[in-house]
Amino acid sequence: MQQKESRQEDNRQKIQDIMSRQSSKKKLIDRIMSAFAIICVISALIPLGSILFEVVKNGISAISIEFLTQPPGSFFLGHGGIAPAIQGTLIVVGLASLIGAPVGILSGIYLSEYAGNGVFPSAVRFFNDVLTGLPSIVMGIVGYVSIVLLLGSFSVWAGAFALSIIMIPIVVRVTEESFKIVPNSIREAAHSLGIPKWKITLFITMKSAKSGILTGIVLAVSRIAGETAPLIMTILGTSLFFTGFSGPIDALPLRIWRLASQPYESAHSQGWGAALVLILIVLILSVVLRLFVQSKTGYKLNRATF
Amino acid sequence: MTRLLDLGLDRIHNIIMDMAKLSESSVLTALGSYEEGTRIKSQIFDWSEKLRTLQEEVADLAIELIARFQPVATDLRFIRSCMEISYGFSRFGRYAYDIVDVLETMGSISDCDKSTVLEMAGTVREMIQLSLHALRSRDKDAAEKLYQMDDTVDALYRKYLREIITPQSQQDKRFSDPRCYVSALLILRYLERISDHACYIGDSVHYIRTGTSSPRR
Amino acid sequence: MGSKESFSINNSRVVEPLQDNADGKSSATVKQYKVSIRNLDAWYGSKQALKNINLDVKANTATAFIGPSGCGKTTLIRCLNRMHEMTPGAGARGQVILDGINIYDNKTVDPVIIKRRIGMVFQKPNPFPTMSIYDNVAAGLKLNGVKNKRLINDIVKESLEDAVLWDEVKNELDKPGMGLSGGQQQRLCIARALAMQPEILLMDEPTSALDPTASSKIEELVYNLKKNLTIIIVTHNMQQAARVSDYAAFMYLGELIEYGPTNQIFKNPQKELTERYISGKFG
Repeated sequence: MQQKESRQEDNRQKIQDIMSRQSSKKKLIDRIMSAFAIICVISALIPLGSILFEVVKNGISAISIEFLTQPPGSFFLGHGGIAPAIQGTLIVVGLASLIGAPVGILSGIYLSEYAGNGVFPSAVRFFNDVLTGLPSIVMGIVGYVSIVLLLGSFSVWAGAFALSIIMIPIVVRVTEESFKIVPNSIREAAHSLGIPKWKITLFITMKSAKSGILTGIVLAVSRIAGETAPLIMTILGTSLFFTGFSGPIDALPLRIWRLASQPYESAHSQGWGAALVLILIVLILSVVLRLFVQSKTGYKLNRATF
Repeated sequence: MTRLLDLGLDRIHNIIMDMAKLSESSVLTALGSYEEGTRIKSQIFDWSEKLRTLQEEVADLAIELIARFQPVATDLRFIRSCMEISYGFSRFGRYAYDIVDVLETMGSISDCDKSTVLEMAGTVREMIQLSLHALRSRDKDAAEKLYQMDDTVDALYRKYLREIITPQSQQDKRFSDPRCYVSALLILRYLERISDHACYIGDSVHYIRTGTSSPRR
Repeated sequence: MGSKESFSINNSRVVEPLQDNADGKSSATVKQYKVSIRNLDAWYGSKQALKNINLDVKANTATAFIGPSGCGKTTLIRCLNRMHEMTPGAGARGQVILDGINIYDNKTVDPVIIKRRIGMVFQKPNPFPTMSIYDNVAAGLKLNGVKNKRLINDIVKESLEDAVLWDEVKNELDKPGMGLSGGQQQRLCIARALAMQPEILLMDEPTSALDPTASSKIEELVYNLKKNLTIIIVTHNMQQAARVSDYAAFMYLGELIEYGPTNQIFKNPQKELTERYISGKFG
C-alpha cells in the first residue's frame, strides 16, 4: 500500500515537471502562431484594400452629375455618362431577385422542412451544390438559348433569367442552412400548441431563419450585380435607357467591360468611375438591407443569431 | 450496492440490538431480585439511564437520516419503527427500575405470597424473549401471539385487583400485610405495562414487514 | 388499511375497454378518469419502447411517471398528445382515451387539433426566440385564428398569472422572451401552453434544467394548476415525484410495473422492483 502511494507521488511529480517544462515551450509556440495568423490576415486584406484604393483613386475623378445621369457620349471625348447602365443594373438585378429569391426560398424550405433524406431530396441537394459552382457564362448560354432565341431579341427577360438561375442555388442553400440551424425544440413547442405545420414554417421557424436568409440574399444579389459573362449573351448592352422588357438594356459590368476595351484614356477613366459606382451600389444595398433587418427583428444580422 | 443510507441504518440496527440485550437483562434481573430478595437498585438504575441515552441517540440518528437521505419504503418504515422500538426498550428499563424501587421502599417481603407475581413474571419473560426474537428475525406474525399472551397478563392483573377490593379479602392471608399486596399490585402493574410494550414491539416489526398496522382483536 | 390500491392489470377496478357501442354503465365508470390508456405499444423503428401499457388517470390530479433512463416514460407522455409519431420512424398502437374519445382513432380525430386540448412543457425551456413575452404567450391563440385583441389580452394576463410570472413581467411584456432567466423562461412556456386552455398538461422533466429555487416555484404552481387541469409529469427526481404527485407510475424497460397513490408507492410499494428503484438500490 505504501509502495503504491509513493509511486503515485513520483508520477505526480514527474507529470508536474513535464508540464512546467512544456509551458515555457508552449508560450513561445503560442506567440509564433499568433504572429503567423496576423500575417495571414494582413496578406488577405492587402489585395482587397489595394483594389478599393485603386478604384477610388482612379474613379473618383470621373464622378459627376453628368456622369451619373447622362447616357454615354463619344468615347473619345469622354462625354456623357453611365446612367443607362445604372438603370439597367438596377432593373435586371431587381427582376432577377424577384424571380430568384422566392423560388430559392421556397425550395430551401421544401428541402429543410418537408423533404427527408430520401433519394430525391439528396439528388436535389447535390445538383443544387453543383449549380452553385457552374461558370456563369454557362448560365448566359442557357439564357441565350432559351429566352433570346425564343423571344427573338436580346432582352431584359433573358438577362434577368440568366442572373436568377445563378442566384437560385445560392438562396436555396442559404435558406436550407438557415432553417436547419433553428433548433427543433422551437418546432416541437409550436406543434404541441396544435399549430398546423405550414403555419409553423411560415410564421415561427421563418422568423428565426429570416436573418440568415436575408444575409444570403444580400450576398447573392451582390454577386449577380457584378456578373458580366451571362449579360453579354442576354442583354447585349446599349446606350439607351430602358425601352421595355423585351428589348436590350445596358448594365454596369457590361459598360465597364466596354469602356475598358476602348483605347482611349477618357474611356478608361469612365470605366473606373463605373466600377466605383458599382461597388457603391452593392455597398449601399448591403447596408440598407442590414439596417432593415435589424430594425424589423431587433437582432443584428448575424448567421448565428438564435 | 452500499448506499450512504445503509451505514446509518446499520448503526441504528446495532444500537437497537444493544438496547434489546440491556433491557432484557434489566427486567430479568429486577424480577430475579424480587424472587431472591437481592438489592441491586443502583445497577438497574444505571442500566435504565443508559437505555434512555440510547433511545435519544436512536431518535437523533433517525431524524438525521430522514433529513439527509429522504429514505422511502422499507427503509423509512424501519426508521420509524426503530424510534418506537427504542422507546419501548427504554420503557422496559424504566419499569425494571420501578420494580426494584418498590422492593427498596417496601423493605423485606420475603414472607409474602409471591405466587401471582411470579406467574405473571413467567409470561412476561416469555413475551420479552418472543419480542426480541421477532425483532431479530423480522417475524411479522409474532405480534398476534404476543397479543394473546398479553390477554392472559391483563386477565391476571384484573383478577388480582378484583380480589383485593372484594370484602372477603380481609380473610385472605395474602392481603394481611399491606407491604405484601401493595408491592405485589405495583409490580403487577409494571409487568402489565412491560407486556403491552412487548406487544407494541411486535406491532412495529409487523409494520416494517408489511407497511400496515397489525390487526388487533 | 391492508388492502391494495394499486391499479394492477389484474385488479377489477381497471376500466373495461371502450367499444363503439359502449353501454351506459361502462362509460359512466370511465368518466371519473380523464385519460385512460389501453394496450398501448410504441416503437422507434424496430425497437419496442412501450409494451402493453394500461393506466387510468383521474381528473384534477397530478400523476408522476418515474423510472430509470430508457424506461419509456418520456415515450409514454409523448404518446398522450400524439407527439411521439413526429419522430421519424416512430409509431404507436393502442388506445388513448380522452373523455371518451380515442385520440388514436384517425377517422375521427385530427392529430393537429387534438394537441390544442393537451398542453406540453419540455425539459429545456423553449420560448420562441424572435417573439416578445406577450407574443410568446399569445402565439398559440393567434396562429390558431383568434383575432379578438381584448380576448387575447385577457387570456395572456390570466395565463401569466397562473404560471406565477405576471408580477415579474407585467411591465415588460414587449421585451424578448429569451431575455428572461431559465426559471422564468420555463414559466413562460407554461403560460404559453396554458393560454390554449388545455384540459391536460404534460410536463416532461420540467425542472431538470433549473436551479432548486426555480424548481420549487414550478412545483408549487403544479399544485395550484391541479384545480382546473389534470397534470402528468415525467421526472427522474424521486423526491420531486414524491412532493408533487398524487399518483405515481413506475416504469421499467417499457413496461408499467406499478401504479398507485403516491404515498402508498413511497411508503409501501407492492412490487420488489419498485421498492429497489425508489430506495436507490439500482440505477
